[in-house]
This record gives sequence, structure tokens and C-alpha cells, in this order.
Amino acid sequence: MDWSRTELAERLAAEYVLGTLRGPARRRFEALLPAHPGLRQAVAQWQARLLPLHAGVEPVTPSRSVWPAIQARLFGPTVNAPVNGPVSAPGWWQRLAVWRGAAAFASAAAIGLGVLLSQPQPASPPLVIVLNANPDAQGVQPVSFVASVTPDGRALVLKPLGDVPLEANRVLELWAVPGAGAPRSLGLVSGERATTVLRTRLLEGTAAFAVSIEPAGGSPTGAPTGPIVSVGKLQS
Amino acid sequence: MAKSPNEPSDRSRRLADLLARVKLGDRAAFGEMYDMTSSLLLGMVLKIQRNRAVAEEVLQEVYVNIWRAAASFDASMSQPMTWLASIARNRAIDSLRRAQTQPHTVSTSVQGSDDDDERDAMQDFAAEGGDPLELLGQAADRLELKRCMGGLTSEQQQSLALAFYQGLSHAEVAEHLHQPLGTVKSWVRRALQSLKNCLSRAAQQQAA
Repeated sequence: MDWSRTELAERLAAEYVLGTLRGPARRRFEALLPAHPGLRQAVAQWQARLLPLHAGVEPVTPSRSVWPAIQARLFGPTVNAPVNGPVSAPGWWQRLAVWRGAAAFASAAAIGLGVLLSQPQPASPPLVIVLNANPDAQGVQPVSFVASVTPDGRALVLKPLGDVPLEANRVLELWAVPGAGAPRSLGLVSGERATTVLRTRLLEGTAAFAVSIEPAGGSPTGAPTGPIVSVGKLQS
Repeated sequence: MAKSPNEPSDRSRRLADLLARVKLGDRAAFGEMYDMTSSLLLGMVLKIQRNRAVAEEVLQEVYVNIWRAAASFDASMSQPMTWLASIARNRAIDSLRRAQTQPHTVSTSVQGSDDDDERDAMQDFAAEGGDPLELLGQAADRLELKRCMGGLTSEQQQSLALAFYQGLSHAEVAEHLHQPLGTVKSWVRRALQSLKNCLSRAAQQQAA
């Protein structure tokens, strides 16, 4: 009888979400979830139904010690080590040569892009920026990206052109680089497929986008630490 | 920009974006997600696990879980906040089981059995929320659930509230309300069924 099974699944899902399913029954139910999409869906639906009940919950700010403890448990005790020492050398973004080189590449790319863009476009075409492989990057296989940014600067899609070979424990991080000052992290991006980045002001004050190689988890300092693999300047 | 960044849809979208980056292993996004959600999740945990020190340990487990399970989050199945809240509730309920402690149930509606009790228990969810609460869905959904809860009998309402907010088991609710276990079980079961029917009727009417 299919209906009875559905009814039982539904009841168990409801009581699991409410919290009245306890003890061994709760653990058995949890063990079933990964293999039973129907059950998972019933649970998700009940979670969505009951979520608004939390509106009565008073937010309580956790003690300051909680966040460092979480980081220590996940990433080891070194995470909060103060940022100084060897990192104090000038950041790559302060070296003008990078930008001169990148600008030359970008101009060439822009000409190529101009041809593409002269075809009919929808009313508000996205801004397309090519991030060229940085010729100065040491020991890194050259790699380029294409970034499409919505004209309102709220969404960016970054696509790798070709494979990005990465060592284990290395990730790619995207940066918005202002005309003056330090780059802003836009988060980690994938080297295999398109990554969508949502922000309120992607373009405001941004002179270029850049991708750097960082240790797992992203730059520990908030500024790029690894080699910059690709750069693309915005045309103003 | 007509929209303020505090509007629920924007905050929820922002959270979805952060969770997508956490999936990629982005620690900065994880930190931002913590700042955005930890006070709300701690509030939820504290309702169930009232010992502040234990609750903060539970909160640590919650975020360790979130980081490790982020890859399995299915955006087509649930909203980010729904997912986070369910992890927080589950870990909080686990902590009760582990500690074998009697949950304290005194704060809302324990003494006596007149109508005020039930109002107190329900006040929790009728209260107007502050900023982070906007992550908990649209105001319309909250009103709809409130209306449907209002359609339940007072026993049903009270059983649900005790189970949901304080993490009480059937047996604990029964003890608390001085009722036989079987009676409480059927109150809860019928309450959930009526709630589901009421909410899906409402959804159908909205769609029509």
C-alpha cells in the first residue's frame, strides 16, 4: 500500500522536524535520509513550514571565544596567528609592472572583443572583461578567465578558459582591484566551471579584476598572498 | 537602488551566495555567514539547551557541521536559513539527549493551567522580530502559519509549542501537561496534520 507508506513517511518527517522523534527512532530516521529522496523532500517541506515559528526567537550574540574555537576545530590553531613577518614585502598589486603588462594584454583582448560586441546585443548587455594570463606569474601555468558583469554591478559570472591546474590545498580567489588601495576579496572561485558572484557594488571603484592562487580556505590575510594568475582591467 | 540591503529577499540572497562560496571552501565567506547568522542560531539553541556554556559548545558544533556538510546542501530542496536552522535544532536536541539533563521548562507556561499559559507559550512566535529574523521567511508566511496555528485547539497549540521551542519529547510534554502519553501523541499528530492541511489550502488559494 503506497499511500500508507507515504503517510508514515510524512508523519515521521513531521515529528523529526518538530523534534518529538527521539532516541533510536531519530537515529534510524536520520540514517534513512541519505538514501531516500522522498523522505528528504518531506523533511525539507516540514522544515520550510515550521521555519517561521522561529520568528519568536530572540537573537543572542555568542561570546567572542566561539568563533576562534570553531576556526581552531576546523582549520587548526594557526589560523588566528597575527599577520606579519614574511608577508610584509610589497604586495603584487603594488608592482606597477604587473599592471602595465596586464594592460597590454587587455587592450589586445578588448580589440578582439570589440569585434564580437559589434553584433546586435540585448538592451543592457553585460560588461565582459577578459582576465588574461599574467606573464609575470612564476611557476604557474598560464590561464585566462572571462568575467561577465551585469550593468548594475550586482552579479558577476567568472568562467575559466581551459583547465586550471592546481596543487592540492591550493584554491583560486577573485579580487576587485581599485585604482588606489588594497584589493577587495570577492571570494573563492572554481577553476573548473563558472562561478557566480553576487555583490551589491562589484563595479564601484573597481579598476581591474584579478585571480590569485591562495592556500586552502582563501587568503589568510585578506590581501592576495599567492601568485596572481590572471588580470583584467575595466575599460573606463 | 530602490531596495535596502535589509530586505528579506536581499538578505536571503546574500546568505545563499555565502553558502555557495562556503561550498567551495571559502573561509572569508564562512566568517561572514557566521556574523550574519550566529546570533539567531544561538537564540534557537538556547531555547532548547538553556545552559549558556553548553549552548555555545553546541553552536561550535553547528558551524563545524555547516562547514563540513555545506557541499551536500541542496539549494533546490531548501532555503539556506531553513537548512542552518535545522542543523542548529538537531544539534541542540542531540545535546539534551547526550547530557541526559532535565530541560528547564519554567520560563514560559509552566505554572497553573489556565488560558494565560497557552498565550505565553504562543507569544514566542507572535512576537515581532528584529533584523536577523528577516532571514526566517516572508512576513506573509509567518502570518499564514500564525493563522493556521490559531485554528488548532489550545491543547494542540501548547503541545506543539513545548515540543518545538523547548525541544521536549512526547513524554516530557505529557508530564508537563499532566496528560497521558497517548493523548499527547495524538494531539501532536493531529496538530501537525491540521497545520499541513491549513497551510496547503492557503498555498492553493494564493496560487489560484
